[in-house]
Amino acid sequence: MNANPLIVVEKVAKEYARGSERISVLRSVNLEILSGDFVALIGPSGSGKTTLLNLIAGLDQPTRGRVLFDGLEISKLDETRLARWRTNAVGFVFQFFHLIPVLTAYENVELPLLLLNMTARRRREQVEKVLDLVGLTHRLHHRPGQLSGGEQQRVGIARALVTDPKLIVADEPTGDLDSVKSREILDLLQSLQQELKKTILLVTHDPTAAARARRVLRIDKGALVEERTSPERQRRALRPVAGAPG
Amino acid sequence: MKFFLLILKNLRRSKLRTTLTALAVMVMVTICTEMMTILFWVHQHVHTQASQSKLLVSERWVAPSCIPARYLSLLTCQEGVEDWTLWNLYTGFLDASRQQNRKGFGLATRPDNLIAMHLGLEKLDPAAVEALKREKTGAILSADIMQQMGWKVGQQFTVLSSSHPNKDLRFKIVGVLPPGEYTRNFFFREDYFEEGTGNKETITCVWLLLRDAGTARRVADRIQEQFQHYQPELKVENESAGVARFVSREEAILSIIELVAGILVLDMVIVLSNSISVATRERKVEMAVLKVLGFEPLTIMLLVIAEAMLIGAISGFVGAGLSWLCSTLAVHGILPSRIATRIFINFPIQTEMILWGAFIGAFVGFIGSVVPAWNARKVKVSDVFAKIA
Repeated sequence: MNANPLIVVEKVAKEYARGSERISVLRSVNLEILSGDFVALIGPSGSGKTTLLNLIAGLDQPTRGRVLFDGLEISKLDETRLARWRTNAVGFVFQFFHLIPVLTAYENVELPLLLLNMTARRRREQVEKVLDLVGLTHRLHHRPGQLSGGEQQRVGIARALVTDPKLIVADEPTGDLDSVKSREILDLLQSLQQELKKTILLVTHDPTAAARARRVLRIDKGALVEERTSPERQRRALRPVAGAPG
Repeated sequence: MKFFLLILKNLRRSKLRTTLTALAVMVMVTICTEMMTILFWVHQHVHTQASQSKLLVSERWVAPSCIPARYLSLLTCQEGVEDWTLWNLYTGFLDASRQQNRKGFGLATRPDNLIAMHLGLEKLDPAAVEALKREKTGAILSADIMQQMGWKVGQQFTVLSSSHPNKDLRFKIVGVLPPGEYTRNFFFREDYFEEGTGNKETITCVWLLLRDAGTARRVADRIQEQFQHYQPELKVENESAGVARFVSREEAILSIIELVAGILVLDMVIVLSNSISVATRERKVEMAVLKVLGFEPLTIMLLVIAEAMLIGAISGFVGAGLSWLCSTLAVHGILPSRIATRIFINFPIQTEMILWGAFIGAFVGFIGSVVPAWNARKVKVSDVFAKIA
């Protein structure tokens, strides 16, 4: 794990308007995530987990504060530049996999590479490499409907990895899987973090899934608290999560 | 090109909807191409093809025109006249049923310069003209009449005259007119007309071929001036004006055709727009996923538009292609002559219409997909996933 923070969230607040009412989802959140870390974000439904995830991944803009990724202030980028940035910087794993049903596993994984200036040969090599990594070389030409839930999630993970991003964001990746498949997916995410040194941000309800992370953050009513940090991290005495009002 | 596969596969997503949309576009493009062919034909004849150096001389105040035959030498000896011909109209029923749809319009004329003096007969087989020169009772009939009556070249038929009572004439078919121009007409020899009807005194109209447009204008002015005190007085107009006069009579119908063509295009836009809107709404989550993966809003918009344009272009190509095929088969007599196929014979669809069909389809796809594509562009990822959660 690298001691440099990959993600810095500074005094970030997010509010939504519902008619004339303003709903505060996040309140002055501060957070640093080190490069190569495995962070789990837990909390009850509606606590603001996904909102924070969206802000870190550049899918939404904060009402106040700023989000920096590898030194780049992504909260200032417009939608088009954010899209370009996401292709290379962030890989997403969804609860419901969200694979394109008309495309094969291979084509689904290849999709983000179409946005990059790569030859067809390079794309093929890259896709086969990541599908091999998730153990799906035998299912290249199957459509999502022909794959099990666990296999679909592996395709989702391969798609997230294919552009070699620094950050993998997983939003309830085991939420739609049975316990055996959940364990397999968590093993896979853990190995990505350990072997490929990817930074993983996992949003989950599941304490078993959260237990795999080095660092667990709890979010409740828009405020963030550190729930557990690995001894290694504690030794480094990095700045704790702070800033939750109240 | 990288995205072509994605677009193509998206079309296979809901095969029934894609097929129905494609069918709707195909049918409408088919109708549109035929309407465009009619409008194109009229436009071409009024503005482009109709010769400015050919003059049509007819009686000024009476229709059908009836020019004294003695005028002919005065007209044809005008300085600058390079060639000339005449028409005598002879109408009648082609069989004893005397039904209106069995009516033919005979044009008695000179056989020797038949092709040179008649617009649209450029493709007439010269052998037919030679046969007409040899055979006094010969007639060259439109393909439409030949198909309708089931006649063959070499066969004889009798016209039960409606323009010249009790002067029924018997003809021998010596050739078939090329499709397009003269749909219910037949050409036959002037001398046979005079002999058969006994009318040697009058002519329906005279065609004069001049060196150029300037000469035509001068000759026209001279004839108007020379014949202004004659009784009957003459009217001179160039060929395009003659066609335009015909067109002006049919203007209301042409306006309706234009209007219907416009409505059809609008209808196609609505059908496609609706189909693409439904498809886009259904795929909102996928659009959001594409955005998450790094697809720019503009790329997503272009993907939706490209999808609609592709379905429109393919359907348009197939629709226009089928129209062209039907038209070609009808012109060559492979399809039987019916009311439905007669329009193809009268207004044969040109090969380039197939490309126009594809273009119309793609254009309709573009217009119809702009709004759904704009909505797809504006899909907000966080909102979409919040709804799923």
